[in-house]
Amino acid sequence: MKADSLPPTSPPPLPAAKPRRTFVGLLASNIEIRMIFVILIVMLVLSLVSPYFFTVKNLLNMADQSVIVGMISLGETLVILIGGIDLSVGSLVGMTGIVLGLAMRHMGLAESFVLCLGAGALAGLTNGLVITYGRIAPFVVTLGMMSIGASLAYVLSGANSISDLPPGLGTLSADTVIGIPLDFWCLLIAYAVCYWFLTSTKGGRTLYALGSNREAARVVGLRVAAWSVIAYVVSGLMSSVAAIFLASRILSIDPIGGQGLELDAIAAVVIGGASLFGGRGSIIGTLLGVFVMVFIRNGLNLLNVSPYWQGTAIGSIIIIAVLAERLLSGTRRRA
Amino acid sequence: MTSLELHDIWKAFGATQALAGAAIALKPGEVHALVGANGAGKSTLSRIISGQVQPDRGSIILDNKQIRFSNSRDAILHGICMVTQETSLAPDLTVLENIMLPQLALPGRLRWRVLRTQGESLIGELGREAGLDLDTPVGDLSIGQRQLVEILKALALDSQFIIFDEPTAPLSPHEGERLFAIMRRLAARGRGLVFVSHRLEEIFTITDRVTVLREGKLVEGNLPIGSLTQGELVRLMVGRELQDVYGRRTARPPVPDSNPVVLRVRNLACPPMVRDVSFEVRAGEVLGLAGLVGAGRSETVETIFGLRRATAGLVELNGQPFAAQSSREAIRAGIGLIPEDRRGQAIVPDFSVRENLLLAHLGAHAGVGLNYSARTAAIRELLTVLDLPERRLLDANMLTFSGGMQQKVILARGLLLSPRLLLLDEPTRGVDIATRSSIYALLRRVAAEGMACVVVSSDFEEIIGISDRITVLSDGVTVTTLPSHLMDVEKLAMFAAPRTSAEKTHTVLTDLVTRQGGMAYWIVVDGGRVFCFDRVGTEVAADPGFATGGFPLLSETSIASALATPSTDFVSDHDGTRWTLLVPILGQRGHSFGTVGLTLARPPDGVDAAALSAAIVGALSDPLDLAMTETGQFA
Repeated sequence: MKADSLPPTSPPPLPAAKPRRTFVGLLASNIEIRMIFVILIVMLVLSLVSPYFFTVKNLLNMADQSVIVGMISLGETLVILIGGIDLSVGSLVGMTGIVLGLAMRHMGLAESFVLCLGAGALAGLTNGLVITYGRIAPFVVTLGMMSIGASLAYVLSGANSISDLPPGLGTLSADTVIGIPLDFWCLLIAYAVCYWFLTSTKGGRTLYALGSNREAARVVGLRVAAWSVIAYVVSGLMSSVAAIFLASRILSIDPIGGQGLELDAIAAVVIGGASLFGGRGSIIGTLLGVFVMVFIRNGLNLLNVSPYWQGTAIGSIIIIAVLAERLLSGTRRRA
Repeated sequence: MTSLELHDIWKAFGATQALAGAAIALKPGEVHALVGANGAGKSTLSRIISGQVQPDRGSIILDNKQIRFSNSRDAILHGICMVTQETSLAPDLTVLENIMLPQLALPGRLRWRVLRTQGESLIGELGREAGLDLDTPVGDLSIGQRQLVEILKALALDSQFIIFDEPTAPLSPHEGERLFAIMRRLAARGRGLVFVSHRLEEIFTITDRVTVLREGKLVEGNLPIGSLTQGELVRLMVGRELQDVYGRRTARPPVPDSNPVVLRVRNLACPPMVRDVSFEVRAGEVLGLAGLVGAGRSETVETIFGLRRATAGLVELNGQPFAAQSSREAIRAGIGLIPEDRRGQAIVPDFSVRENLLLAHLGAHAGVGLNYSARTAAIRELLTVLDLPERRLLDANMLTFSGGMQQKVILARGLLLSPRLLLLDEPTRGVDIATRSSIYALLRRVAAEGMACVVVSSDFEEIIGISDRITVLSDGVTVTTLPSHLMDVEKLAMFAAPRTSAEKTHTVLTDLVTRQGGMAYWIVVDGGRVFCFDRVGTEVAADPGFATGGFPLLSETSIASALATPSTDFVSDHDGTRWTLLVPILGQRGHSFGTVGLTLARPPDGVDAAALSAAIVGALSDPLDLAMTETGQFA
C-alpha cells in the first residue's frame, strides 16, 4: 500500500468568525452584556412582585449592602484570576474591624484606618508568602488564616462587640454626593481603578498570564512570585477596607461581623464569569455578580422568604447561573 | 490464529490532521515497529489501536471481522492493551492491586487469594529477575519496575496484542535490555507486540517488521526489518522532500573565526541530567545540540536560561561570566528561549495572539502602562517574514491554531525581544513540513544577521541540515563537536550512543585493553576520515592518533596504513612501532556498527588475531547476551 494513491489532505479552512450585530449575537458575544440583561430581568420581576423594590430608599439600601461584598469581591477577583482562592476574607473583616475599634479608643480616625489597613495587608502578605514560597495549596493556607482571623478577633475583643465609636466614622456612609452615598462612590472608584489596572497595566496582564499558564509566564521572565503575593495582599487589604465601611454603616463592630462573607464574594466572582482555574474573568463581571447577589438577597427579604430557606434559594441560583453561563458560552470555556 | 489490521485510518484534532490514511497489520508472535519522525502520527495510531481515541474514518479488523472500539475498555476486552510512556498506575496501591485493577470493573466478588496466585504466576512468566514483590506500593518502585507492572497488567488481561509506546525512553541501559528480553519472550509465546520508537538502534535490535508513517500517512507497511539499512529507514521516515527543506545541502562557508564568541559553556553540570557539557557558539552561527531523549539537551539550555541552577561549570556570555538566577535575568542579558513544550511552557491560552506575542514585554521594560501600540510596526514586519495572516492577530484562542502556526507565534515572540543568543528547544516538534521550511529559512536569516543560535532537536536529519556545527551529548556529557557537513545520520546515531550498545562496546574495549594492553577503540571510517566514538587505554606509545569524539583525516592518524589496508590480521603502520587489528562489527541483521580496533606498541607475537576477532564479533553481535563479555574469552 502506497501513500501516493491516497487523496490529497488539506484540512478544511477554519470558518472565519463573522461578527454578528444582532441582539442575540450581542448577548452571546460578551458575558458582561449577558449579565446586565439578567440583572434587568431580575429588577423587572422584583419590581412587579414588590412595589417597595423600586423605591429610592430600597435602592440606596441595596447600594449600601453592595459596598461590603463588593470591596472583598474585588480582592477575591485578583486571587481567583491567578488560579488561587482566599477563604480568609470574611474572618479578616471581623479581625481588622476589631483592630479598628480598639485603635480608635487611643488615636485619631486616620491613624486607626492605617492600622486597620495594615493588619489586613499583613494577613494577606502572610497568605501570599506561605502559598507562593511554601508551595502549599491556597485553599489550605487561607483556611488556616480564616481560623486564625476569627480566633484573633475574639481574643482582641474579649468576645464583646465594640460600640463606643467616634461619631465622625458614620459620615462615610451617611454623607451623599449627587444623592448617592459616599461609600458607594468609593466602591465605584475602587472598581474603576481595578478595571484600569487589569486591562491597561503590565501588572494586571501579568496576573491574567499567571493564571492562564504559570510556567509560560515564568519562562518569558515575568515576576511570577511577586505578583502572586501582591494578589493576596490586595485581597487582605480589601477585607480591612470592607471592615471600615461595615463599621461606618452600623456604627458597631462585631468580632463575627464578616462571617460567611467569603462565600458571597466567591459566588459573586464566579457568577461574574471568572474561572476557578484562573486566567479568565473580569472586574466588571464581578461587580455585576455582586449586584445580582445583593438584588436576590433583597428580593427574598421583600418576598418574606424565611431566612432558613434563603440559603437554599441563593445556593441554587449560584449553581444555575454558572451552569447556564457554561451552556451559553459553550466552546469558548476552557477546554 | 488471530490477526489485527487497521486500514485507511483518518483522524483530525481541531485544525491538525494527525492521521491521513494510516494503516498497520499485526500478527501474533511478531514484534512490529511503528516508526516515524515527530508528528508522524505514531502515538495517535497507537491510541486508536488501543481504543483511547476513535478514528474519523477507517476500519479496524480483528480476525477478519470489522469492529469498533468506543473506549479503551472495549479494546481491552478484545485483547488489545497499551503500555504507556507516562505510566498510568496508582502509586499508593500495591503491585498486586495495580495489576488486578481492571478486575474491579468486572461483576462478581473479588477473590484476592485467587488473584494473588494469578499474580505470582504472571511474575513467573516475566522472569523472576525483575525482583517485583506483589505487596510493595507502586510508588516505591523504580521507573523500570513500574513499566513491568504495566506489562503484568496487560498480561493479567490476557492481552493478545500489546502496544509499547516509547518504552525505553525512561529506562537505564540494563533495564532496557531486560525489557527487550521480556518482549522477545512474549513474542515467542505468541503475542503480537507493537514497538513505537524513534531510536533506530533499538528498532533493528528488537523488531521483526516495520511500518513507517510520515505526516500521518502510510509510507511503507510490513517491511521485514532485515531488508533495510538504517539509512534506508531514515530516508523512509523523513522523506525525500525534506532534502530541500534545509536550504543548501552542500557545506556552508564556515563561520569566520573573527566573529565573537557569544556563548561559551565549560563543564556545565546540573544533576541529574546535565553532568559535563561544554560548547561555544559564535555570532552568526547555528549550533545543533544533538542526542537522544534523556541526554540532557533541554536541561542544558534551560540551565543557561536560568530555569535551572547549575551546580558546577562556567557559562560565559560575550566573554563575561554569566550565571542566570532566573529567566528574567537571562532575557535582560539578551538570551531568548523557544521552549520544548509549547502548550505547557509557551502558550497563554486565554490571551489573544497579540498578547501572546507581547507576553515577554510585560516583564521586559520599565513603567506601568502596556505600551502595546509602540510595537505594532515590529509585529507587522515579523508577521510578514513568518507569513502569518495579520487578520488572525486578534484571534481569541491560539489553541485552535495548527501546531505550525502556534510555533510561528512563539518564535516571533522570542525574536521581538531581539536577543543576541537564541536557544531553540525542538523548534519543529509537531509542525507541518511547510512551516518547518519557513522556520529553517528564518533561522538562517537571523543567523546571517549576526544572532547566535543553539538548536536542540531529536531529529538527526534536521539537526544536520540546519546547523553549522553539531555538539553531541550522551547521558549529560559532551561527546564531541564537529562541523555538520562531516556528519550523517548513522554517525550521529553512534556518537549519540544508544546507551545499550555503547555500554556493551565500552565493556569489550576495556576488557581488550586489560588483557592485551595498548589502546582499543570503536570507530567509523568514512570519507577519508576516522570518526572515533570511544577509546580505552592509557599506553601513550600505542596512541592511534585520535581520541573519543575525534574525527581526523586518515593521514593525520598514527595508524594510517592499517586503516588503508583491509586485513584480518595485525597490520604494522609505516614507522613499525604500532601494530593494529581492525574488526568490522555487523549487527544481527547485517548492518554495520562500525569497526572495533586494537593498537599495540609491540609486535603481536603469540596473539591469535583470528581468535581475537572472532571473540570480539561474538561479544558484540548479540547485544542481549551480556554473559559472554563477563566470562572473559579474550585471554
